[in-house]
Amino acid sequence: MADNNTPIRIHVAARAKYLYTPEGAHMKKLLLASALSLVSAHAASAEIRVGILHSLTGTMAISETTLRDVMLMLIEQQNAAGGLLGEEIVPVVVDPASDWPLFAERARELLTVHEVDVIFGAWTSVSRKSVLPVIEELNGLMFYPVQYEGEESSRNVFYTGAAPNQQAIPAVDYFLEELGVETFALLGTDYVYPRTTNRILEQYLLDAGIPQENIFVNYTPFGHSDWSSIVADVQALGEGGQQVGVISTINGDANIGFYNELAAAGIEADDIPVVAFSVGEEELAGLDTGPLVGHLAAWNYFQSADTPENEAFISAWHEFIGDENRPTNDPMEAHYIGFNMWVQAVEAAGTTDVDAVREAMYGLEVPNLTGGTAVMLPNHHLAKPVLIGEIEADGQFSIISQTDPVPGDAWTDFLPESAVLVSDWPGLECGMYNTETETCVQIQSNY
Amino acid sequence: MTRNRSVPIFIAILAAFALGVTVMSEAYGTGAISVSFTKVLGMTLCLCLAALAMDLVWGYCGILSLGHFAFFGLGGYGIGMWLMTARTEAVVRANLANQVIPPTEAEVSDATALQIFSVVGGEDWPWMWAASDSLFLSLVLIVLVPGLLALVFGWLAFRSRVTGVYLSILTQAMTLALSLYLFQNDTGLRGNNGLSGLQNIPGAEAIGQDRISIWFFWASAAALGLTYIGAAWLVSGKFGNIVRGIRDDEQRVRFLGYKVEAYKLFVFTLTGMICGIAGALYYPQAGIINPDEIAPIASIYLAVWVAIGGRGRLYGAVIGAAVVSLLSTYFTGGRAPDINLGLFAIEWVDWWPVLLGLGFVLVTLFAPKGLGGLVDYFVRKDRT
Amino acid sequence: MQHLLRIAIIVAISLFLTPAAQAQDLSLQDILQDHAEQIADPSRRTVGETLDALVATGHPDLPGFLTRWQSREAYQRDADGFFVYVEDEDADPLVLLDISTGEAIGTAGSREITQLRPNGGVRRVIGGALVQFQLGADDPAIRLEALDAIADDPEESYLPLVEARLEAEEDPAIRARLEVVLPGLIIAFAEDDQTRVDAIRTLDGNVSLDARATLNRILSTRRGVAEALPEEANIAAILEPGSPALSRDDAYDMLVQSDLAPPLISRAEQRDVLAANIVDGRVGGVPVATLNSEEARDTAYAALVDADLAEPIPTSAEVDAALAAHTFFDAYSEPSAAVTRAARTTLDSIESRVGVYRFLDLSLDGISLASIYFLAAIGLAITFGVMGVINMAHGEFIMIGAYTGYVVQTLIADYTLSIAVALPLAFLVTFALGVLMERSVIRWLYHRPLETLLATFGISIALQQIIRQIFGTQARPFTPPDWLAGAVTVNDVISISSIRIAIFILGVIFFVLLWLILNRTRLGLEVRAVTQNPAMAASMGINPDRINMMTFGLGSGIAGVAGVAIGLFAQVTPDMGANYIVQSFMTVVVGGVGNIFGTLIGAGMIGSLQKAIEWLNPTNTLAAQTYMILFVILFIQFRPRGIIALRGRAAGD
Repeated sequence: MADNNTPIRIHVAARAKYLYTPEGAHMKKLLLASALSLVSAHAASAEIRVGILHSLTGTMAISETTLRDVMLMLIEQQNAAGGLLGEEIVPVVVDPASDWPLFAERARELLTVHEVDVIFGAWTSVSRKSVLPVIEELNGLMFYPVQYEGEESSRNVFYTGAAPNQQAIPAVDYFLEELGVETFALLGTDYVYPRTTNRILEQYLLDAGIPQENIFVNYTPFGHSDWSSIVADVQALGEGGQQVGVISTINGDANIGFYNELAAAGIEADDIPVVAFSVGEEELAGLDTGPLVGHLAAWNYFQSADTPENEAFISAWHEFIGDENRPTNDPMEAHYIGFNMWVQAVEAAGTTDVDAVREAMYGLEVPNLTGGTAVMLPNHHLAKPVLIGEIEADGQFSIISQTDPVPGDAWTDFLPESAVLVSDWPGLECGMYNTETETCVQIQSNY
Repeated sequence: MTRNRSVPIFIAILAAFALGVTVMSEAYGTGAISVSFTKVLGMTLCLCLAALAMDLVWGYCGILSLGHFAFFGLGGYGIGMWLMTARTEAVVRANLANQVIPPTEAEVSDATALQIFSVVGGEDWPWMWAASDSLFLSLVLIVLVPGLLALVFGWLAFRSRVTGVYLSILTQAMTLALSLYLFQNDTGLRGNNGLSGLQNIPGAEAIGQDRISIWFFWASAAALGLTYIGAAWLVSGKFGNIVRGIRDDEQRVRFLGYKVEAYKLFVFTLTGMICGIAGALYYPQAGIINPDEIAPIASIYLAVWVAIGGRGRLYGAVIGAAVVSLLSTYFTGGRAPDINLGLFAIEWVDWWPVLLGLGFVLVTLFAPKGLGGLVDYFVRKDRT
Repeated sequence: MQHLLRIAIIVAISLFLTPAAQAQDLSLQDILQDHAEQIADPSRRTVGETLDALVATGHPDLPGFLTRWQSREAYQRDADGFFVYVEDEDADPLVLLDISTGEAIGTAGSREITQLRPNGGVRRVIGGALVQFQLGADDPAIRLEALDAIADDPEESYLPLVEARLEAEEDPAIRARLEVVLPGLIIAFAEDDQTRVDAIRTLDGNVSLDARATLNRILSTRRGVAEALPEEANIAAILEPGSPALSRDDAYDMLVQSDLAPPLISRAEQRDVLAANIVDGRVGGVPVATLNSEEARDTAYAALVDADLAEPIPTSAEVDAALAAHTFFDAYSEPSAAVTRAARTTLDSIESRVGVYRFLDLSLDGISLASIYFLAAIGLAITFGVMGVINMAHGEFIMIGAYTGYVVQTLIADYTLSIAVALPLAFLVTFALGVLMERSVIRWLYHRPLETLLATFGISIALQQIIRQIFGTQARPFTPPDWLAGAVTVNDVISISSIRIAIFILGVIFFVLLWLILNRTRLGLEVRAVTQNPAMAASMGINPDRINMMTFGLGSGIAGVAGVAIGLFAQVTPDMGANYIVQSFMTVVVGGVGNIFGTLIGAGMIGSLQKAIEWLNPTNTLAAQTYMILFVILFIQFRPRGIIALRGRAAGD
């Protein structure tokens, strides 16, 4: 039990810091409250709480429920292996219901009512941006597992998904170098991830000597199903006499209609290759992949990665979920890496206190599932290898290219206003540092 | 004038409730009610305010609008633009102050725009942000913009005698069009991301959310109370009789020589403005507003709250909104204990929507007067 | 022609015979081992050299290996780096075959050999190397593949091969392709301008992508600026700064880039210069603290310029003068004016034809979209249009229909059969659900139409969540049979997927069927009687309860069948119905309530309108939807009862 007291006391101290105000009267009340909560924390038996903030209903449930399940599995495994710091990890699952304001509300609840030590959650960028002010205010800790548009580095978030330079840029390089694509169609769902990614890519392509008129951009709403004219437009790009390639940031189930239309139009990967950043094993499960063989996706993980770690992970997942056909995907690996890193950091720090864990996170290395290790960088992003896979008839990807680990870049080098920014929390205590003026633009995030 | 009797009772209950919450709040009391729950309560009061408006337009005037949440959202966007601009500008100014050469106003404005819009790939101020640097103008627009939209839309619709179901579908189309419009990044309101970080009030950075949350709670309660008094006054006089007459038989009122369209337009516009105010109070508590908020389903929920609470009773709308939204918060917040039936565990998170949906059906079928009808029933029993 | 043929023969002979003498004693394996690294891990940029070296050996087994390599049927044994084929990919252990003899040379586990996986770019280069072997192949499919490779990456060496082929080719499809490919090669590589112009003329009226690509390649231009037009250049257009083709800013940028004018100084650069010249808290005599306005900065900067500490900023008069002193132009990279002129006229005539085809294609898309809207709305046209019931759960009936299709497909493997079963089954399932709903809920609310909206909304939420609980949140695969999977292609511009045609036909069938039921059967008569005046209908011996039940069931059942069709071309998810509900109501209201003919026109109008707006603004589909809804709102103002309005007492209120 002596062991258990330490983390709780630090926990209270951390909370006291946040509530600190200059007024003396307030301070007194606060100390009382702290004492009370020390007692109540004791009474609740020593345990470590992990908040899981993924939508279980609404439009995002299609993607996020899997992540809740994988978190429950990882926690179960960790508890079976003796828990953490000798204590049991208790998952606290809440449902933000794909409702962005609710993400902020639930995050506040998790941190203040359920008093969780860490949150694993969010999928869409807007849900992350909704949570940001809350966890920064309350000094919480969140692991965000999805590939995203970058241009952010919060003190309180670790980004275990890919930044654009870990997914989009290598994929475009592959198009330019290996497939010789000269005319690009950037198709995306109309929201911030495709918008920002395409903005970066457009600049990148212009820098690479692709003229503006060879870049076709189109945005469609969420869940779009009427793709025939857009596919015809893409086909018509071939009249320029150059190799056409499609870069797709189409999100979620809209992909099904898109790929069906591609297949119906008989567009094969050899004619017009499509590389997607939001299509993984999970999305392909809703499709007949026969006609799509050869089209591409870029991720940091594919289920088909042939390593012992991955084999163990997949079989554990199948056993946990009770379904041999449920695929694994990239955000699941991100949670796997994130959770293992957090566990290691907590063990290294000897406490779940956010600031101590944060310090312990930098430079941590944990094995990823594709062979090799992921390293946590000072900018709260990971160094991970980039994989490009081709769709196969069985709904899996065959990996045709795997790079060395690429360090995630919080601020892209390809937009002039971001190129001057860096993030370095342990070194500069700043996530948005302007290297030209040598000042910290802001400590809080840009939400 | 039985309905007026509800005013003192309602105000007393509301005041007692506000006092109770204050006494239990973290900022000014025991701390039994967490900041997050204070926010939930404050937001619920705003929803009650919107439901009150919905009751006026539907319960009293018979216009089933499925688009009133559009006005609510517009109010939120109005205040959101000011909050974002002011907060970001403060950050930018602080940063640019480090520069060797002092910044020009144009530089501050450009840097602020870049900070706000780079997320969606823009760097210029869209025209609709023109008033965002003035709190006063923003507050005016919070009322004016929803009012104007309601006025124009209502004038078009009522003028061509679009009524009943057609009007419902048309209002639904209106809110759908607005939300799709706002979804576009090119619109200038940051598309799907919307406006975020609204809980951080500019100039109040040093004040903790514990106090800000209770202040907004008070403001919401005050707005609800005042609107309730105003609404009760409005529906109790001659105006109320005419409006109820329109609800029950529009043609007859028209033949009696009243300008039905003008009355309907007035109620429609007024309630649009009330919704705008409710939204402006709601979103700083929610922290983020985006186009999903005004999707058609939100407005349908608004109607459902009023139906469950009981139409044609002001307190009914308030009860309906409060009960349904608080229950939803409870069941989806992970607090409700799961029921384990041995083979089959009922997880509330999963089954709550089913329960809610069936609840709507049951209330519609068996309690057409809603929960407010129950109140009537007991009150009347007291009297006898 | 004859001399070209001769060249082809000489090329062929020189390719195969000459080096073969040296290669005879070397086996293919030995040759490949020399390039093992490049073959195992090729890159598009470098594989060409390897292939040249391999082809130069002229080894007879090489074409076979290249074909297998390209189609990813070649492997490398990890232990010794030997290249092998395998007998059966799925066998365990794998039987390895020698690449020359084809004989079994041993076995290996799947982790002991590595499949050679050239990427798409490399495969295209291999395809190029294979052209010479494939063009004369017996299999027409292989010949077409070779032509694809030529069209992808034309090279001069193909010219004689293709010419020879065209003389010998008998397959009409391949001939047609050759007739486009050959001019392409001639235009690109022939010496004589007149030959090239003639070749260009043969493409007149050819709307294929290949033809347009060929012409566009000739017409590619490069933008330039000079003090006077260069004499030797083949000028496409002279550009006026400030015109839509070239803004004044861009024009001046070009001057700066070509060192023909001094650069403009941006505000940020100005600030940096000022910051670099601070002396004792002043810049050019102006105190730093007051430099917070543009005027003050300009003054300070001017002082710096006077002191020769900064570059002067060009005035707008200087900018004007610089722009006026230079000519801006687009020049063809093709030097021959005769060729570009011929290409321009030919392409213009092709483009105008393509424009017509595009319009036809767009119209087909519009009709297709309209038929989807119609199919989604037609059930509603009955429940809402005829009966006046606002069924918010209509979308969920569509969704349940789609899930029925999915379930049937998991049970019946044959896709054609499963759809044949799914269509009636979906009707039955949703018909039963509709009847259940009508009996238990809706019949109590006929006199409160707005409240059916709330009750059915509740049912809609509940149904969605129940389906989510049963099938999970993931999208479910629901695949059309092969004969519905392709597209009907008229030419490279007009093409429509078969599934859309099927949806169109289904829509037509439904329309005719419903029209017959409502207007030509006793049930239809009774339905119309009950909806117009239930009391009177009842006194005429019609049972309104039964009729209401049947009508609602019919509407729901049709929604279910529509769900099968919609599920086949879009996604099957628990919330798919929500995508269609508002749209469907609008379709019915625009068309005019109480009339399925109105629904048809409404769907047609909304569908084609949306396509038209999309065409005007092709980069933003969302805007098209927004404006379409705005149009609907305005339209209702002018025709509040829809396109086809009921008149008289039947219209009710």
